[in-house]
Amino acid sequence: MHYRTNRVRTLAIALLSVLAFSVVVSAQGVVEERPEEGPPMILFVVGFCVLPWVLLSLVWVVYGVAYPFMFIFGALFGGRNLEKRINAVVLRERSSIEHFGKDPLSTLKGSHIVGGVNNSGLVYSSIVYAPSHWMLLIAWFNNLVGGRVDILQRAVAAARSEAKQLLRERAKEAGWDEVLNVRIDTAEMAPGGRNALVRGAVEIFAYGTGVKYG
Amino acid sequence: MKFKSQHTYRNTMQHIRDGILVVNTETIAGKVITQNLGVVGGSTVRAKNIGRDFTQGIRNIFGGELLKYTELLEESRNEAIARMVADAAARGANAIVNVRFATSAVTAGAAELFAYGTAVTVE
Repeated sequence: MHYRTNRVRTLAIALLSVLAFSVVVSAQGVVEERPEEGPPMILFVVGFCVLPWVLLSLVWVVYGVAYPFMFIFGALFGGRNLEKRINAVVLRERSSIEHFGKDPLSTLKGSHIVGGVNNSGLVYSSIVYAPSHWMLLIAWFNNLVGGRVDILQRAVAAARSEAKQLLRERAKEAGWDEVLNVRIDTAEMAPGGRNALVRGAVEIFAYGTGVKYG
Repeated sequence: MKFKSQHTYRNTMQHIRDGILVVNTETIAGKVITQNLGVVGGSTVRAKNIGRDFTQGIRNIFGGELLKYTELLEESRNEAIARMVADAAARGANAIVNVRFATSAVTAGAAELFAYGTAVTVE
């Protein structure tokens, strides 16, 4: 939305102006060399240019210290959370199938509808899903040996069923009776390399045409 | 159990308010296509900011849904569809058929979302 880009823009402009101001002021300080000036200009330069980097590196230090604990936590509870999520999706699926009387999603084009169609429109849903670093490590080991990588397949399958379920819920919300010509796209979200912060994230995007029987 | 990803169904039905039918089937059931006005499309390129990247990176360690990215892509997709609809409206169409979506990573930090379809007039 717009306010977000505005905020980023103002922040960038403010940072740049502060930088320019501090550079100009420090240059003046060097030229004039007045010892009776209150705080030395070097303080401003340090405050505005060096301090942010120091804080940033502190954040990274904290990250580095906390990472092993977070990793172990993810390894211990990641699988269980995934299981919980899959079970919740199964329950939601059941309730929406009850509402529609059948599974509303299909890849058919609509020629099977006998009574005719009153109204139609686009319906879509997306979800960004990432496997935990523990799963990525296991997948890396699997890569060495070869064969199936079941642990990643489970995560992506869970994300896909959730995207499909979101599509059903949105169709229900918009009042459609059925969703035709459903397509499911999978896109790599973060194709960064080894140094990327977010690794292995995929975006699942499902869309179709909702129809209302005439 | 309720998860956060069941977020609200915000601007997603904007095209209906604009009076333009958008479907991804080749024809609109119950209507006849009278005129083909060509391919229309709309796209947005979205960059994730560093702060969000950091928080989502931490979420990535545990695994699961990256909610902020989901929201970001949802908003961007709405915008791409709105642009496609505006393009079709400028051509005097009243429907877009056979809509397709494409996602591509332009650079490591930015994603392009593209929606395209055929603008038609229907009766």
